Amino acid sequence: MSQGIYLTDQPVRRAQPSGNQLIRKIQRACRLTLAEPDLGLNLDVADYVNAKQGAAPRDAVIAIVKLINSRDTHTAVFALALLDVLVKNCGYPLHLQISRKEFLNELVKRFPERPPLRFTKVQRLVLTAIEEWYQTICKHAAYKEDMGYIRDMHRLLKYKGYIFPKIKEEDMAVLRPGDHLKTPSEIQKEQEIAQAAKLEELIRRGRPEDLKEANKLMKVMAGFKEDNVIKSKQLINDELSKLKRKADLFKDMLSASESPNMENETLVELYSALKVSQPKFQKIIEEEHDDDDLVQDILQFNDTVNQVVQKYNLLKNGSVEEASQITVPSISTSSPAVTQGGALANELNLIDFGDDDEPSTSPPHGGESSTTVDDLLGDLNNLSFSQPSQNFGLGGSISLGAAQPTSQVASSAGLDLLSGFSETPSATSPPPPRQETSAANLSLFDDASNISGPASTRTEVFSSEHLKIEFEITRDNESSIRLASFFSNNGLAPISELTFMVAVPKSMALKLDPQSGNYIRAGEKDGVTQFGNIENAFFNANKPLKVKWKATFCVQGSTFEETAVFTFPQV
Amino acid sequence: MGNSISKVMVKMFGYREMKILMLGLDNAGKTTILYKLKLNKIKTSAPTVGFNVETVSFRNVKFNMWDVGGQDRLRPLWRHYFPATTALIFVVDSHDIKRLNEAKEELYSIISDKEMEDVVLLVLANKQDLKDAMSPHEISEYLDFKQHLKNQLWCVIGSNALTGQGLVEGLSWITNNTKSNNKKKTSDAT
Repeated sequence: MSQGIYLTDQPVRRAQPSGNQLIRKIQRACRLTLAEPDLGLNLDVADYVNAKQGAAPRDAVIAIVKLINSRDTHTAVFALALLDVLVKNCGYPLHLQISRKEFLNELVKRFPERPPLRFTKVQRLVLTAIEEWYQTICKHAAYKEDMGYIRDMHRLLKYKGYIFPKIKEEDMAVLRPGDHLKTPSEIQKEQEIAQAAKLEELIRRGRPEDLKEANKLMKVMAGFKEDNVIKSKQLINDELSKLKRKADLFKDMLSASESPNMENETLVELYSALKVSQPKFQKIIEEEHDDDDLVQDILQFNDTVNQVVQKYNLLKNGSVEEASQITVPSISTSSPAVTQGGALANELNLIDFGDDDEPSTSPPHGGESSTTVDDLLGDLNNLSFSQPSQNFGLGGSISLGAAQPTSQVASSAGLDLLSGFSETPSATSPPPPRQETSAANLSLFDDASNISGPASTRTEVFSSEHLKIEFEITRDNESSIRLASFFSNNGLAPISELTFMVAVPKSMALKLDPQSGNYIRAGEKDGVTQFGNIENAFFNANKPLKVKWKATFCVQGSTFEETAVFTFPQV
Repeated sequence: MGNSISKVMVKMFGYREMKILMLGLDNAGKTTILYKLKLNKIKTSAPTVGFNVETVSFRNVKFNMWDVGGQDRLRPLWRHYFPATTALIFVVDSHDIKRLNEAKEELYSIISDKEMEDVVLLVLANKQDLKDAMSPHEISEYLDFKQHLKNQLWCVIGSNALTGQGLVEGLSWITNNTKSNNKKKTSDAT
């Protein structure tokens, strides 16, 4: 009678009704009457585990391994099929469970000490599963350091003489992390699920070192530490730079020949990767609108993506002519915001230089010049950008329309370049890295000469046959400089769609008021003005203040992009 | 045969272990209670960020006591500590009348969780030494268990973590009530 009362040393665990439902589902998926593993039922279990979380992944795995070890091959095979589905669909919480020592020991419980001459079907499937995990989640998963026991088990089996079957590439592909751009909220959600699973597992284990880690993890989860935020930023940046590389590759493939093979698998794949990520851009911008750098970066990258996509579509429809009109600048040149330091920027610059070596790509004039500027920026390093308000929309219909290489400008560049040299050796600018530099150098040396020139209140920043830019620089006080920019039309055709951007070194802050307009009639002087303030620009600073500027405008349907670094005179 | 009987006796009256989860709003006195029980000392502690675990042995029972921080940001994480809990000690600052309703809401949200539906609930009306503190009875009325809790064992005990008043009483209540609970459970199961 009293037989029923047993107290074990284990803490009392209540029967869990939710567990029962799970067990029922698992049993249904493995029952003998099924002719073959039923994907629907298996996915049903996966959905249930995903929805319940908490103890569900653990309970599921424990129940399944019991079935795998059952004497009946049919059940064991079905249980392994179910486990496979769970591993592929339930993510980290389940991976954490299959990497537990106890689970792995159970899994190989029926393996003899020495490998048999012939493996049974179940043994072969178990080996396949372990090999698959070893090749995928142990290597690629974001939390691969938690999967140590799978590696250990793999090593142990190998040591004992077990031979692992070869895994098909497509089976592994499923468990590789997808290269998807994720919005911050998506990343956050994933983090939450993964960290909750980890925390519960640590609490369950309860060894002192686990508890210590749990305490640390709890601080991260509660937001007392910034780890999560930093990590999600990092993830976004990583994915963005991957995408940028893809865009670059895509662009190269498109412009490599007159009629690239549109059926090329890689090309199609790149196209869809870019296309798919575009909606994400908007979401990221919505969620991270506080992060100006990121938003600028994404906006500009989006424009580039729009262009390559357009080019691709044109080529696909056979309009080679039109397509060749679209010259897409290299990714990093089209997004100056990227140059704001950090690993990302470096990476991109590398890519960029690689591109320039390729003769097939003919970068537009603007692109050329800003490459030099990029080099300069190497010196300036951290620049922060601020832009006039009416800038690039998501629609991506900006400046880069049909930029023809402007030969006139280039030739005049050569001229001015020489005069610039003769006047003043420019101490502020490093030697041009390459021979074919154009307008950038021109204006640069111009600037240098201007420093020593007469100290008028207005300084000419740039002048071409179309546009003249002048700065009027006055010092407001010790730390603040007032900057007024005047734009005049030198040419005989009106200038439209003028946008002007200025970037100052990171230690300073720039406030720019909106431009007074973006249209200058032919020959008009000071047609557009823009006012701004540079804060933290101290009087008597060691180095002369340098700013980078970029102007884009349209004259008679062709777009120009001018950019250079301007060195401020002492004020 | 005698052997097997003594085995049963040991299992019944001998050593056992249970997980006790101690929750409550921040500044209710959870950590102070924990260390008063563990060390019989008053350990002035900064707000708990994370959790503390200690084992407290009492009358042949080993209590694994989990004290989880009660700040806003930590409360969503409480649920991760629910599994395998035998008893919940919910600590209320009897002096902090303004936040009593907040405490009530948190408590009800804990015990409405499926994992917690049949834990034994002990409410410690802490800080009874302070003037203007609400009495255990008043708190009990306020929390309104009679109305809402049907199948759950509950008890409200006044406590003072500084002197240790009420703490041992609380533990012995838990011991007594979980034992019968277990007996019932196991016999149900067989």
